[in-house]
Amino acid sequence: MSLARMAWRYLASRPAVTLLTLAGIALGAALVCGVLVLKRESESAMAREAALFDLVVGAKGGSLQLVLSCLYHLDVPAGNIPYEDYERLRRDSRVRWAVPIGLGDNYEGYRIVGTEPHFFELADREGNPFFAFAEGRHFESRFEAVLGSEVARATGLAPGDRFAGTHGLVRVAGSEVHDDFPYAVCGILEPTGTTHDRAIFGSLESVWEIHETEDRIHAAIQGTASLRRDSPREATAVLLRLETPGLRLRLADEIRKRSGGIAAIPLNEVMRLYQGIVSPMQRALLAIAGAVVAVSCLAVLATLLQAGERRRRDLAILRSLGARPHEVAALVFLEGALLCGLGLGLGWLLGHGALAVAAAWLRESTGLVVSTWSFAPGEAAALATMALCGLLASLAPAFAAYRRPPLADLSLDS
Amino acid sequence: MVELRDVSVRLGRDAGRELRFSLERFEAARGEAVALVGPSGCGKSTLLNLVAGLRRADVGQVAVEGQDLAALGEAALDRYRGRVCGQVFQSFHLLAPFSALENVMIGLRFAGCRGAEARRRAEAALDRVGLSGRRRALPATLSAGERQRVAIARAIATDPPLLLADEPTGSLDVATGREVFALLRETASEAGRTLLMVTHDADLAAELPRRYDCAGLVASRPHEKGGAAA
Repeated sequence: MSLARMAWRYLASRPAVTLLTLAGIALGAALVCGVLVLKRESESAMAREAALFDLVVGAKGGSLQLVLSCLYHLDVPAGNIPYEDYERLRRDSRVRWAVPIGLGDNYEGYRIVGTEPHFFELADREGNPFFAFAEGRHFESRFEAVLGSEVARATGLAPGDRFAGTHGLVRVAGSEVHDDFPYAVCGILEPTGTTHDRAIFGSLESVWEIHETEDRIHAAIQGTASLRRDSPREATAVLLRLETPGLRLRLADEIRKRSGGIAAIPLNEVMRLYQGIVSPMQRALLAIAGAVVAVSCLAVLATLLQAGERRRRDLAILRSLGARPHEVAALVFLEGALLCGLGLGLGWLLGHGALAVAAAWLRESTGLVVSTWSFAPGEAAALATMALCGLLASLAPAFAAYRRPPLADLSLDS
Repeated sequence: MVELRDVSVRLGRDAGRELRFSLERFEAARGEAVALVGPSGCGKSTLLNLVAGLRRADVGQVAVEGQDLAALGEAALDRYRGRVCGQVFQSFHLLAPFSALENVMIGLRFAGCRGAEARRRAEAALDRVGLSGRRRALPATLSAGERQRVAIARAIATDPPLLLADEPTGSLDVATGREVFALLRETASEAGRTLLMVTHDADLAAELPRRYDCAGLVASRPHEKGGAAA
């Protein structure tokens, strides 16, 4: 019988203590793994999305608000900019690609983004098409709509189905439903792992038509129709890809000076948000997880010391049977090593398993697509550090077992 | 086989007095069965521990099969315990998480025998003590007599030339004690093993061919500064 098997049998002989110690280690490891995976996924999702565009041009207000509202569909935009601004930017020789977006409505909480068909020609930084159609095609006329993958999954809408948008960017009970302007689904996008999965895309003209008509109706009701002229065409924002990223700062500065709007650099804003809010929170979570792991290591030490005290007689018996001091020390050390190894393994499974279980909810509620079963950067190192701490904690009782002479615990003298 | 000469061991100190084990000469021949008798605290178990290599003499010689135990290093002494001495204790000293078979196999493991050979020898030893049907039983589910039989099986499985038994019937009722005693004698005599058995039971001691009275081996004397007296 190997020493490892003997160590396992000793652990199995006191299941309550073993399970509680394992649970402590596993919980700490699960927390560390979970936080690190979420950190990787959120960083990569935010950076992936932010890196798609060099500049976001919108109405005066906060840069972060502009990026969050028009790129991540999280905030409310400060206002609109004239459509002419888009046309002028499109013609600028430093702009490789530009697309306007118009916000205003939602369907079941998913934002309806008015844009132009060439939006779907967007390429990633390697030049590969960013969007792919799982079903159907992009919109070609007014009141056709393309659904992000998550919207299609959550709403069950399919090409050919019709739906009506609701006024406002978020779902609020009692909001005005644009029943007279139903959209027809013409395509569904493949998942992108970005917030585009949680958006509905239609033509900008559709957005204009809905709101101009609604405005005219409201004006007629209020008796002010004759006083109103047709409102100027507007966009909520313009998304830009420049000929070279080095032009970002200069062009942003020019836009700020010559128009009534602002230009935000998405990557800068995201990094600012990340370093200001998200990163400290993640560090705090990691610190908590580290504290749990430290407590677990102390629990391993306490468990082994307690077990060692209870088993002094057994270790003495083994010595009387011919076991060498290093063999009984190895037996005690292996118990600690098994506890740590099993605890960390269980913790990894628990952390990643919990993320796998929560993946659908995460995708639905945050748009975050989590790759659950792969190691996050730093995760292996964190687990190795935890294992090292556990093994160090096992050394003390093992050394005590090594040093103890057998006779004292056999009670043989009379 | 077993020879102790001019052995002295300091056992401890109490109220300025020193407790010391002193033995001029003890011998047991190969195959001989000796009962170590005497009142409690007289030094019977100390004598057994010296022969088992669990305690070293301060002075004097403890030799088993011509090997002076004082000359053995710690590692060699561990090997000696595993291969030369089979030990049986009053409170059985079985390992609770392991079955009867595993207890015997663990003894064999530390004597250098592992794997299939260890299993074969452990099964044979359990068969020999009449426990072939209780191999998988945990110590807690065995009767006291069965536990001591497992302990005897563990002691003889390594085929040692020397059996050391410290009050092997002390925790057993009279009838079971006699059975265990008989088994111990048989397993010693059939393999030509030397048996040293500590016992308080005068009847059992009388059944062994030789009795050695340990009375007076441990004495209390005023503490002398400056070293051990032989």
